[in-house]
Order: sequence, then structure tokens, then C-alpha cells
Amino acid sequence: MVIRSIRWRLQLWLGFLLVGVLAGFGLMVHQLQGVTQRGLLKEDLERRVAALNLAVRGGGGPASGGPRSLGGPSEEEAREVRRIPPLEFRGSGDRQRPMGPPPDGPGMSRSGRPQARIPEGAFELALSGGPPGGHAAVWSREGVLLRRTEVGPPELPIPRRPGRSTQMLFRDRDGLLECYQFTELGDCVLAGRSLQPLERAQRRLAWNLAGVGAAVLALGLGGGWWLSTRALRPVEEIRAAAERISGGALSERIATTEPDSEVGRLAGVLNATFDRLEAAFVRQRRFTDDAAHELRTPLAVLLVEAQSALSRDRSPEEYRETLKASLATAQQMRRLTDSLLQLARLDEGDGLGTALPLDLGEVARAQAEALRPLAIQKGLLLEVLTSSAPVCGDAERLGQVVTNLVANAIQYTPSGGTVKVRTVASGDDCSLVVEDSGIGIAVEDLPHVFDRFFRADRARRRAEGHSGLGLAICRAIVEAHQGRISVESAPGVGSVFSVRIPVGKAA
Amino acid sequence: MRILLIEDEDRLRTTLAKALREEGYAVDVAEDGVEGLHKAGQNDYNVVLLDVMLPGRDGWTVLRELRKTKATPVLMLTALDAASDRVRGLDGGADDYLGKPFDLDELLARVRALIRRAAGTARPDIELGDVRVDTRARSVTRAGVPVVLTAREYSILEYLALHRREVVTRTELFEHLFDENDDSLSNLLDVHVFNIRKKLGHDLIVTRRGLGYCIER
Repeated sequence: MVIRSIRWRLQLWLGFLLVGVLAGFGLMVHQLQGVTQRGLLKEDLERRVAALNLAVRGGGGPASGGPRSLGGPSEEEAREVRRIPPLEFRGSGDRQRPMGPPPDGPGMSRSGRPQARIPEGAFELALSGGPPGGHAAVWSREGVLLRRTEVGPPELPIPRRPGRSTQMLFRDRDGLLECYQFTELGDCVLAGRSLQPLERAQRRLAWNLAGVGAAVLALGLGGGWWLSTRALRPVEEIRAAAERISGGALSERIATTEPDSEVGRLAGVLNATFDRLEAAFVRQRRFTDDAAHELRTPLAVLLVEAQSALSRDRSPEEYRETLKASLATAQQMRRLTDSLLQLARLDEGDGLGTALPLDLGEVARAQAEALRPLAIQKGLLLEVLTSSAPVCGDAERLGQVVTNLVANAIQYTPSGGTVKVRTVASGDDCSLVVEDSGIGIAVEDLPHVFDRFFRADRARRRAEGHSGLGLAICRAIVEAHQGRISVESAPGVGSVFSVRIPVGKAA
Repeated sequence: MRILLIEDEDRLRTTLAKALREEGYAVDVAEDGVEGLHKAGQNDYNVVLLDVMLPGRDGWTVLRELRKTKATPVLMLTALDAASDRVRGLDGGADDYLGKPFDLDELLARVRALIRRAAGTARPDIELGDVRVDTRARSVTRAGVPVVLTAREYSILEYLALHRREVVTRTELFEHLFDENDDSLSNLLDVHVFNIRKKLGHDLIVTRRGLGYCIER
């Protein structure tokens, strides 16, 4: 349930996204910081190695105090170094001592090449720049540890020289970063630092990043919740409105404050749908109301007739009258129920018999001719001008359409008028036209004449035996044949009913 | 008692009017809302029977318009008998509501009840001394013995009994007891009253000369 909720899913996705982005960002910052710090450390070590190198070669680089310090002071510094031998000889230095010349004995080596000499104080001076701490060492080309700082790891092996490289090289060992360089003569200088402070700083940074990340995540999720609440509120309103509508409040609509927003447009579409639904519902409701009214009224007549007749003794003449009235009423009900049933079947799509190729002209002629006596009786001229009009359909139902239209025309045309029935095939359509010179139909009634139980002049129509469904049935039949029925009329001039049905090919 | 029947269905209107007349009511008919509203406004009917689905102006409109001027009891007749329609009818000022198809006896009983209520009495029996008028059976007894009255005579007696201790003018009697098609002459009223007196005693109905009739008991 909770997982199905869009809001919770949004939260979940937002959470994933935020965690991903924050974790990526944090890792990157952490890495960058690590790399930068290590880079700074390397620079520092390189600087120290360069200074040491210079000192070992006897030069006086900027780090060794400049050329000024090459003279007297260097002797003093050398003595100073001699005075603190433990500083220089620790660890492996002791073992190396017999193998190499004494460190305090600068001079020529056995090979005759000049021994690496470290001017007094140059070593310390070389290490004085940059951040404090770190260790350093100097080896002679024979591999004898000449000098080293007191601080630093107990084990300080001489680095391996790759070929005759005089480049600065780095090595990582036991949490130490060391930079070393071999001079052209083969002496080796080394400066190193523990990586511990850097690692500590990195850990601290990681914790800080995690803390900030958690805060941002919480903030983001809170903001996301607020946003999704805001964004989903209209959806919730739509749901509530739709629920009320489905509960029966059909005229209710979704209130839209922002008709151009996505949700507003959705609400607009829904409202339009509800409009159509309500209209359909109202139509259906009116139809059932009308049907109920039309069926209940004759039933009421029957009841009143019978009860009234039975309430006292009547003459045979009175009984006959009652029975005749009852019969007429019952027949009216039968016509009505037949019509309703036919309409219901047409609505469901099974109101037609098997569709067969037929000539609409023939059907129209036969049905119209059958009504000729009625026209003659009323003093009307009935013109039947039919030509071949091949359609595919139910001859009986199409005949019913013709009968309904022609009977209607005869009904509403005063004596001396004309009723014309024509059929013609033109292009893809066959048309049946029933034209009269009758009383016509009022303009405001025209759109409704095919409606069920249309009520123009209802009282008179019913008195003449019309159920108010004849034209509605005509339309249903024509539409079941994929055709269209239309009417044009001018009050006092006459009406023209046109039926168009697609030309039928033999099925 | 005079009734206006507003109903567009010819057969029902004719049959119902006939049945009501046989019950001794004077019945006017109207085929649509416009005619009905006109007649209901012109005359003082005891009851108006009003169909809801009418051409012209529907029953709701007729009722609303009528209620602006008259308090005539209205019984609505309609095929719409959903509860909401009944509520609408009663709230709109109808006094009673009957769905189609209805039972003729029920309709007549409701008409009688409406007439009684309008006269301010809820009881179906009216006792006038030793004379007893039963409006349900439309029968009269005197000291327990049934007395046979013609429909007209009964109508006059019932109207006077429902307006006992009031002076009822001859015009009022005409208006309520004869419908628009009756051409009874005024002296015919005297004949009916004379016959009632003969059957139920001379002191039951008192003539107020120049004013009308009155039952003083």
C-alpha cells in the first residue's frame, strides 16, 4: 500500500538519487583532497631532497643558506655534527660503520673519488623549510649511512638505484612517503614523512563529508516531501471530486485554479468527460422517465376505467364503451412496448435481420403504394418516383422507415397537399426523400424531432396514436445501416426527410 | 365539491372526470398547464388534481404559479414517483402526491381527505344532532336510520356540513357544486335544499334570507 503510493515512491527515488549524488560528490572531494595533500607532501619532500642534494654536493643552494655559508660557518657546523654522533648513527648505521669511512672524516674514498661531504649545518638547514617534522638521510655511494635525522623510522634501508638515474624518486612503505635522489657521484639523499597525519586528516574529512551529506539528505527528503505534497494535492482533489461524482453527485466538477498546468489540463479533460457522462445520464434518465410516463398513463386509464365501471351497475352500452376504451388503451400500450423493445434491440445492435442486397427503390414504392388509400382518403396527392437504389440491409426494417416517414407526411399534410417519395442512387449513397407540403416543423423543434418521446405537440400526437418513438426508431434503423437521416422544414411550407444509406454490394 | 383536473392524456382525463362526477363532484378539466393555471386562478376549487408532465407549462410550474395566489389543495398525479420527485412535489406546495398508475379508490379517498382537511376537520364523520354524515361512504343516517340522498343533495349537505355554523352563500354553493358545463338554474338549488329538509328535518338547514344557507347545529 505504502509502496504503491506515488508520493512514497517519489520519496524513495529521491532518496536513492540524493544518496547516489552525495556519495559520489563526497568520494570525489575526499579523493581530490587526498591527491592534493599527497601532492603537497611530495612537493615538500622534493624540495627537501633538492636542498639535501645540494648540501651533499657541497654547493650552497638557497636552502643551505647561500654561498655565504660555504666558508667558515661550514667548518663550525661540521664540528657541531661531530659532537652529536648518536644522531647520525642509529640502526643500521652502526653496522655500516666499519664498512665505510667515518662520517666525520670527510676526504677521499678508497676509490679516490671525492667522498660526499656535508657541510656543517647544511643538513639541518636543508630540512628547515616547509612544515616541521619528517625524516631525512644521506648515504655515501658505497651505501654507508652518512647522516640521518633522529626522528623517523628505526629501519631506514637505502633505496635501490634504478640504473644510473639521478631523478627524484618516491617510495611508499609502512605508512611513510619517502623521496630520494642519487647524485651523479652515487650518493643518495632521502627525505620522508609519515603519511599518518594525512590519513588522519582524510578520515576527519570523510566524517565531515558524511555529516554534511546526511544533513543535505535529510533536507532534500524533507523538501521532496513538501514538494510532492504540493504537487500531488491537485491529484488528491481530483480523486475526491471524482469520488463524489461517482457517488452520484453528477453535476459536481473538479475545481481548476490553474487550467494550463498539467493537472489543470487533466482536470479539464476529466470535466469534459463528466459533462458528456452527465448529459448521457440525463438523456437516459429522461428516456426512462418518459417511457415510465408513457407506460403508466395508459395503465392508469385501464385501472380507472375498470374500477369505475365496476363501482356500480351499468347498462350494457356503458360496459361496451368501457371495454372499447380499455381495448384501445391496451393496444396503445402494445404499440409502445413493441417500439421500446425494438429500440432497445437496435441500441444493442441486434435489431436488424440478416442484411441482404435489396433495391431501396422497390421497397419504398411498395410501402408508399400501400399507404395510397390513406392519402386518397385524406385528399392528398401521393407521388412515388423511385429509381433503382441498391443497398444492403433488412428490407422489413427499411420498409418500416418508409412507412413511418410517409405516414407522418400524410398525417401532417392538410387536404389538397402533396406527398412525394423519391429514391435515387448517386455516387456512394442511395437516398430516400419524403417531401410533403404540410404544416412543417418549428425551427426550435427541428433538432429534436428524432429524439425519443420528443414532446412537440405531444397531446395531439398521442391522441392520434403516436408513441413519440416513430422517428427515433427510423433514425436507429438508418444508423444501423450506416446511414444518416436528416430533416429540413419550413413551418407552413412543408418538411423534407432525407435518408442516405451507402450503396450496398452483394454480401 | 368542485374539482379541477389538469391532465393532458385524453383518455385518462375523460375517464377520471367521469368517475369523479359519478362520485358527485363537479369537475372542470384542463388539457395543459396554461389552461389549468388559468382555470385554477379564476375559480375556488376544493381540490386541484395536477399531472406533472404537461405540455406547455409542466406541473411544477403550474404549482409554483398557483401558490402565489391561491392555497387550493393540490394533489399531484404523476408517473414520476421517485422519492426525490415526491419530496419536490410536496415541498413545492402540493398537499398530496399520487403516482401513476393509481387505484381509483385511493384517489377518491385522498380527495376526500384533502377536502376534509381544508374544511378544518380531520374526522370522516360529521354529526349534526341526530343526523350523521359519513364522508367516506357518502351516506347519511338520521337517528341511526339510513337516508337515501341524490348525489347533488348529498353534495349540498356535505358542503354545508363542512362549513357548519357559517353562512354559505348561494353563489359559493354554485361555485363549488356545479362545474363549468352545468347550467342548473338557481331555483334548482332551492329544490335540492327543500328535498334535503324533507328527508332530514326542516330545522337542519336554516335559510338566511338574502345571504344564504347555514347549518347551525
